[in-house]
Amino acid sequence: MTLVSTPSTTAPAGTSAPVRKHRGSHRRPRVLIAVTGLFFALLYLPIAVVALFSFNSQKSLTVFDGFSLRWYRAFVHDDVLIASLGTSLRISLVAMAGSVLLGVALAVGLVRCRTRFGSLAGLIMLVPLITPEIVTGVASMLLFKGLGVPLSTGTVMLAEITFSISYVTVILRSRVAALNPEVEEAAMDLGATRWQAVRLVTLPALLPAVLASAVLIFALVFDDFVLAYFTTGVDPQPLSVRIYSAIRFGVQPTINAVGTLMLAGSIALIALALFIPRLFGRRGGLDILSGE
Amino acid sequence: MALLRPSSRTRRRDTSGNRMWLWFMLPGTLWMTGFLIASLVLVAVLAVGTTDELGNPRFGFDLAGVRALADPAYTEVLARSLGYALLTCVICLLIAYPVAYTIALYGGRYKHALIAAIVVPFFANYLVRMYGWSVVLSDDGPVLRALRAVGLADSGTKILNSGFGVVAGLVYGFVVFMIIPLYAALERLDVSLIEAGRDLYGGPVRTFFFVTLPATRQGAAAGLVLVFLPAMGDFVSAQLMGGPDQIMIGNLIQDKFFQGQNWPLGSALTMLLMLVLLIGMLGYLRRTRKDEAEALR
Repeated sequence: MTLVSTPSTTAPAGTSAPVRKHRGSHRRPRVLIAVTGLFFALLYLPIAVVALFSFNSQKSLTVFDGFSLRWYRAFVHDDVLIASLGTSLRISLVAMAGSVLLGVALAVGLVRCRTRFGSLAGLIMLVPLITPEIVTGVASMLLFKGLGVPLSTGTVMLAEITFSISYVTVILRSRVAALNPEVEEAAMDLGATRWQAVRLVTLPALLPAVLASAVLIFALVFDDFVLAYFTTGVDPQPLSVRIYSAIRFGVQPTINAVGTLMLAGSIALIALALFIPRLFGRRGGLDILSGE
Repeated sequence: MALLRPSSRTRRRDTSGNRMWLWFMLPGTLWMTGFLIASLVLVAVLAVGTTDELGNPRFGFDLAGVRALADPAYTEVLARSLGYALLTCVICLLIAYPVAYTIALYGGRYKHALIAAIVVPFFANYLVRMYGWSVVLSDDGPVLRALRAVGLADSGTKILNSGFGVVAGLVYGFVVFMIIPLYAALERLDVSLIEAGRDLYGGPVRTFFFVTLPATRQGAAAGLVLVFLPAMGDFVSAQLMGGPDQIMIGNLIQDKFFQGQNWPLGSALTMLLMLVLLIGMLGYLRRTRKDEAEALR
């Protein structure tokens, strides 16, 4: 799928449409378009409501009284929430670095290695993807308790790395598979060792996908709450855990402000992850998420 | 070309390469075995264990936790969770199909942008989205107000604190996992097949059921599994959109580990959840294998 193929795939649709219209059998699918429109409206309505009422001057979530930055100011002056923000940022950075390091190596190894250990590693890699988060959360919590490790920010980091490796590997694996191993062999024929070939040839070719997966993991970990909820201690809890406790015990408008900032931040990061490959002149987009 | 054929030298290098690739895989695999596989085994072991007075897990062989699962209070929650999750799957399919179909077939040059506009917010903060959704569906929220305005609801109609609210939450949370595989399947679909169906005087409905739907069955099956997995384990939707009568198995697990402090029972419930999901996964795998066998025939 290169940029060249895009016009050729749209061309038949463009040429066949008038033909169908000519036959008179083709109608615009009004119902389908209406359903899709309604879907988009309902998809964005909750996000819009949170964002709108974060600027409300009153506490109400149903009546908008006037524009104010009151709740954003309350957030900035809330030492507990700011400490939680710091915790979340630290967890995301560490989980990003750890899982990208382990996940990229795993992806390269999985594609290139044809041994029985390789297929076993591939199976293990799939486990987090088919396990619901609550199970991973419970399991990680039991592991730390069983080992006598007190729950803290550090245990959240360890659990998040574990959970994120698979995402990095899935994203990267198809990219590695698309690389021609003969390029590495050419480098070695020119005198490079195998490690040099990987470092100087393979890794630079993977850079866009590595960066995209890093940004995506950062956003996912920052937003994650189930795993963090089960593995966090009492030291400044991650922001998402704090939000969870807040929304369980009634409406707090400060949460609207925090939520709006988090939504804006993660939407920006995920959009960035989708478009990083484009910056490198490659087809970007959703194949990052689907791993295709 | 003959020069590129692997010589004996490159083949020797391949085996030494294999050893290096093992070193590449080792750290990640060891990490996941140590933290994930070991911890899942631990859950299974604790399901038949006990706890000491301080609530720390102690290992032994005690079937109290497993036996408690037969309690009607728990089987009822399990049945309800299954019902909610399956209903969520069906509703997601009914919503996602027309949306994915419209975008894939009529999206034209905006196809990718439209799909991105669906996917990007879905990967944004789950909690905040669910919180916003609960505000939207609240008694004074825009949805009920609109329904009241057109006479489809009266002042007593509620969405929150009902099973309907919980399912609405699950659908909102996970419908994207249905849209992505369906869209991928529909985009691969050869439009000329649909046109051929019409040329052969199949009406739009018959063409859809005999051409489009069979061609996208794999995508739908993948979507059903991808929605079922998180919906079955979710506990946020039941907490925000439901009441005490709508709790799901995830809420029970959470309760046993945090408030109830009955870890063996919590572990047993977790294993039960895994078992249900495993059955679902195996059903899916059998289905796809059958499909593949049919395709080969």
